[in-house]
Amino acid sequence: MEFKKYCCLTCDLIYDEALGWPDEGFAPGTKWDDIPEDWTCPECSASKSDFYLLT
Amino acid sequence: MSIVILGAGHAGLTLAREIRANSKTTPITIISREAIRGYYKPSLSKALSVNKTPDQLVMKSAETIAQDLNAKLLSNVTVIEIDTECNEVRGLFNSDEESSVLTIPYDSLVLATGASPIRLPIERDSTTELLLINNLEDYEIFRDRIQGKKKVLIIGAGFVGCELASDLISSGYDVDIVDLCEWPLQRSMPEVMGTEIKKAMTEQGVKWHLGTTLASVKTDKQNNKIAYLSDGTIIQTDAIISAVGLVPNTHLASSAGLTVRRGIEVDELSQTSQPDIYALGDCVEYQGVTLPFIAPATQAAKALAKTLTGEETALELPALPVAVKISACPTVVCPPLNKKGIWQVQGAGMNLEAHFINEEGAMSGFSLTGQCIAKKNQLVAECLPAFY
Repeated sequence: MEFKKYCCLTCDLIYDEALGWPDEGFAPGTKWDDIPEDWTCPECSASKSDFYLLT
Repeated sequence: MSIVILGAGHAGLTLAREIRANSKTTPITIISREAIRGYYKPSLSKALSVNKTPDQLVMKSAETIAQDLNAKLLSNVTVIEIDTECNEVRGLFNSDEESSVLTIPYDSLVLATGASPIRLPIERDSTTELLLINNLEDYEIFRDRIQGKKKVLIIGAGFVGCELASDLISSGYDVDIVDLCEWPLQRSMPEVMGTEIKKAMTEQGVKWHLGTTLASVKTDKQNNKIAYLSDGTIIQTDAIISAVGLVPNTHLASSAGLTVRRGIEVDELSQTSQPDIYALGDCVEYQGVTLPFIAPATQAAKALAKTLTGEETALELPALPVAVKISACPTVVCPPLNKKGIWQVQGAGMNLEAHFINEEGAMSGFSLTGQCIAKKNQLVAECLPAFY
């Protein structure tokens, strides 16, 4: 299983699929596509669409 | 249809990004009186403990921003006048000795001029600095002044004061904090909760001086700063930082005849009293309140970008919680905009959940500490939106 990382445009917070985000209710391994569209950045409240794929 | 944006902080840059996402061709000019650098301002009060230098906080250089946005950037230019008759702004390069005036025409003008730190009238001699932190340049000075020093005195126990205190104490500094309030974050939480934060930070070593003010400061012969509090306490320290809130930058707007109260007054389209002039971010007042936070500025920038590219979009703001970075006590606040109501608290010890119940019996704000911060998303869904 290959995990990806996504970065918030506004505050640089990184969502790492491998780690998930337990405080937000996402278990380790939660894919970006499985995160609700109305989820917002826990740091700056940017929308999910404001994250870009880290390559 | 050319758009000119005054200010290259979060509000101005986010607006430019969103306009460009909607329109590839609209000419955008961004004018800033500072050097233009893309950074996340809330990082300024938490960079020390993660070992980041001011340079490392820069996410994007001016060159990258100009390229990404296909925008014209005018850094270090101070706008001196908005001519609403001719639809143009006039500015001066900060360094220009000839002081030739730049004239920039606009079809739509957006004021994203931000806010400036409030300066309390504290008696001091000319050699005693009172540091302020509201942009990266201020922050570079602050880091220089505390380099190799041990003790810092912070004036203000609000968001920035508490975050700075946490950042400094975690990095090995001695911290004193002075505020007239009775508990930290007093405007955003009830006493029982503020008392827990105070207790947790005291255990780390923070020394609180609440219910009092800093009357005067001076520098002695050994270059120590001596602070005299109005309750008679005398504190010897190495640096003094003032973090007592912000006042919107409205001078240009009021000179141009725009309606200004505490901030530049805008409607739900972010329009000022002058057609073709809009405002957003820390400089505005909307429905009687100022909202000097990242999230409302992001939301306003997105709505305004749509309006300016042909799809009129009114601002809607959900409840917008703010995480306060206090290492000793995780904290999330979502302060009520209307202060009429009461706090209801549940929980024990540091793990507290406080709901602000307005006069109609609805929850219009909340704050959470300790393990209760996990309830943030649930409470956002239950809480009234900020504006609706």
